Amino acid sequence: MGNSKQAILNRKYWKRWSLNWNVLSILAVVVALVENLLVTSSESVDNGPYRIFLLVFMFYLLFVYLVGSFFNLRVKFYSGHFAQLNLSLGILLCIQDLLTEKFGTLALPYFVSFAQILEQIRYDAVLLLESMISSLILWLISFVIGTLIGVVLGILLGRYRQFNYWSFPYLKVIGIIPAAAWMPLTMVVFPNSFLAEVFLIVLSVWFPVAFMTIGGVQSILPTYFEAAYTLGFNEHKIIQKVVIPGALPNIFTGIFTSLGLSFTMLVISEMIGAKVGLGWYINWAKSTGNYSQLYAAIVIMALLFSIIFALINKIQEKALRWRRTAS
Amino acid sequence: MAFLKVKNVTREIFNNNGQYLKIIDDINFSVVDGEFLSLIGPSGCGKTTLLRVISGLDNPEKGEVTLAGEKIVKPSVSRGYVFQHGSLYPWETIRQNISSGIQVVQGKNFNQKLVDYFIEVMGLQGFEDAYPNQVSGGMAQRAALARSLVLNPQLLLLDEPMGALDAFTRVDVQNIIYKIWQEKKTTMILVTHDIDEAIYLSQRILVMTPHPGRVKEIVKNDLPFPRKRDSSEFLDTRKKLQQILNFK
Repeated sequence: MGNSKQAILNRKYWKRWSLNWNVLSILAVVVALVENLLVTSSESVDNGPYRIFLLVFMFYLLFVYLVGSFFNLRVKFYSGHFAQLNLSLGILLCIQDLLTEKFGTLALPYFVSFAQILEQIRYDAVLLLESMISSLILWLISFVIGTLIGVVLGILLGRYRQFNYWSFPYLKVIGIIPAAAWMPLTMVVFPNSFLAEVFLIVLSVWFPVAFMTIGGVQSILPTYFEAAYTLGFNEHKIIQKVVIPGALPNIFTGIFTSLGLSFTMLVISEMIGAKVGLGWYINWAKSTGNYSQLYAAIVIMALLFSIIFALINKIQEKALRWRRTAS
Repeated sequence: MAFLKVKNVTREIFNNNGQYLKIIDDINFSVVDGEFLSLIGPSGCGKTTLLRVISGLDNPEKGEVTLAGEKIVKPSVSRGYVFQHGSLYPWETIRQNISSGIQVVQGKNFNQKLVDYFIEVMGLQGFEDAYPNQVSGGMAQRAALARSLVLNPQLLLLDEPMGALDAFTRVDVQNIIYKIWQEKKTTMILVTHDIDEAIYLSQRILVMTPHPGRVKEIVKNDLPFPRKRDSSEFLDTRKKLQQILNFK
């Protein structure tokens, strides 16, 4: 184990490892579990999935703690860094359980215990999985199309004056309109609701990406272009080797800006026209007044969108690794 | 016969007040094949502007520049240009940067050996896979030099490539340029405001005066190579140049 590796880990996981915090975080989960088992409920909830969840959480913490202590330095730093956060999570789980299910301070039907949300997810697992997959497919297709359109337009607008002159004023006016405003029209004009949804999400994505890309292209140092001319690059090579990599940091800013918009538009468009998807599921929950279904969908969304966000973040880190200075 | 001919070159621009401003005025000189020429003068005398015109990055309002009889209108791989600093692509590794020109010219199966050769000559082994912002300024400039040299240019234009380097690194890069010039006999034009650098490297020194930039004098510098920076002839040449430049 080199010192340099330790230094890198220290920078990333800066909270010191300590036995106390690790033990306390495991203890907090145990307390949450014992509390759920012993305190009598005021609501009738199947606590099975919640208890399994707590057990899994506890064993995970124990596992990470043991692996970190005896086998892997990286895991040790990781578990040390997040021990305090895990402790707070254990405490919060305990508190919410007491406030909702046990004492009924935050009462049904609007406030639902986490135990009941998990039970709802278990109960509706197949439908939720189907909804999640169909939402994911819709989002992925639309987001990729929207991003590609945004990047291509951004490069053309940023690099070519004539193209910019003739199209940017029009595109700006179209781009600034909230995509949702087109909704009544798209639902009628498109042959099926899937295409209408794709169109709406693409509409919400392309503009932020295009706008940031233009800025990115225009902020590339003139020296990089001049060097390219003296190195014999043709226009195609300039786009490939100077414009795209040079604008990439801004392109990612645009992608992250439009990410939130795309999630919003995904849910809204599914609520209006769709027969599948998480947005539809929420709308259905609303019509039956089953709020634990609503919370279940929200939890799934939080998971799904966090994973997408993390993945794009990873892609960005990899694509822009040249920006890191000394390692 | 003259290899490079600069004839009546004048470059004018509009300044911020909307006035026509002459940057360089009626420049005439020529360079023979294999020669090393330096352009020196105070800042604002149009050295860089002149170099850009020779490269084809800028076009003169009056006059013309010809290379081997052909008029220069735009940049070309036959005229290498090393910028003052920061012209390496930060998103490419040192090796990718050095290969970028030759890869465009020769295609996918470009001469990898030549790239390796220059990595070695420039002392960049071990840093091939680093990105420009992970290496020192001296290394980055050596890589920029290598990027131009792998294209085997007829003429190498050096725009104060040592200007942003510390004294130690500067001497280091000067020696590399000297070595390459000795070996390859590439015609080189160096813009600098360092008198010693000009005397150390060049066979002729073109002294410019500012507002507008004009040629004041072309000084022949025929000290034997390799030159010693502390020899009395070296110091005499420096004194002579300082007088031309009106130094106290």
